[in-house]
Amino acid sequence: MSAEPQAVDVCAFWVGAVVYGIDVARVDEILPRVVPLPVAEAPAHVEGVVHVHGTAVPIVDLRRLLPAGTPPRTAKPKVILARIGRRRVGLRVDGMAGVRRYTPAEIRPGASVRGVLAITADECRLLDLHELLAERAAPRRPGL
Amino acid sequence: MSQEPLSLEALLARFRYRADEEAGGLGELPAPSVEADRPEGVDELQLLTFGLGAVEYGVALGTVTEILRARKLTEIPRARPPLLGVLNLRGTITPVYDPSLRLGLPKNAPPCAGPDCPPPPRPARILVVRTALGPAGLWVDRVRGVQRVRPGALERPRSGPTGGVVGILPTLEGTCTVVDPEWLLR
Repeated sequence: MSAEPQAVDVCAFWVGAVVYGIDVARVDEILPRVVPLPVAEAPAHVEGVVHVHGTAVPIVDLRRLLPAGTPPRTAKPKVILARIGRRRVGLRVDGMAGVRRYTPAEIRPGASVRGVLAITADECRLLDLHELLAERAAPRRPGL
Repeated sequence: MSQEPLSLEALLARFRYRADEEAGGLGELPAPSVEADRPEGVDELQLLTFGLGAVEYGVALGTVTEILRARKLTEIPRARPPLLGVLNLRGTITPVYDPSLRLGLPKNAPPCAGPDCPPPPRPARILVVRTALGPAGLWVDRVRGVQRVRPGALERPRSGPTGGVVGILPTLEGTCTVVDPEWLLR
């Protein structure tokens, strides 16, 4: 690492009443309306899959993985098409909250909720998608 | 997350996107690879599927040169049933046939030739196919789309006349009979 700490660009979004963020480099697209195809035996937080430019992408409802609340009235639900390695996943969120840049000084570690790495000075919680989406004992959707 | 606190640098390293990072846990999710997940070296058959009445049919896509919106045809005096009329396709006189007779279906195409005929139904299409004698048209009730199938997915017809029937493709709604367009016109 260089001596000069790098700034962090965050794509921020609402899930419930809380702002979360992921690295903007992960974001491929933001889709306004998505109707996924349900998948039998999928974990309950996986809504299904959609076709995006010829590939099947699973849609994960973050509202079922993170503590939810009431989103602000102006928020418009979206699906964020994010990259994890060479895979892609669609994240259903309650609304977008813009792209924000933070210096490391503005970020403090904090992990009261599974999948949350750190919290910024303005209360944006940075997510670890690996941790959030890792295999977990969850009720599964019955066979269709 | 591990229980011991990570340094901020390590936290940010987990936060940042790397193209070579592992997609842990996502393996359980249905195939979300960025690349097309079609195996290589498998010859695929592309079928153009269409409907006649309540029945679905398919032809190899390569034999169809064009799909036209059905239009009023020019009548041929004393034309016999399979021949519906002719069409001026950019200067080439193209005969248009009703394939339902050959397929053993009740007469399907409405009267669609001559100046007094009603306008054809909206979903009706004319498939222009290449034949040894030049282009010919097939009047169909609707065109469903192109379906890619593996040759192994086609089943042999179990009974009935099999001449001209290449195979039967099971679909979600029922079956799709794949036919040879040259046989339809013979």
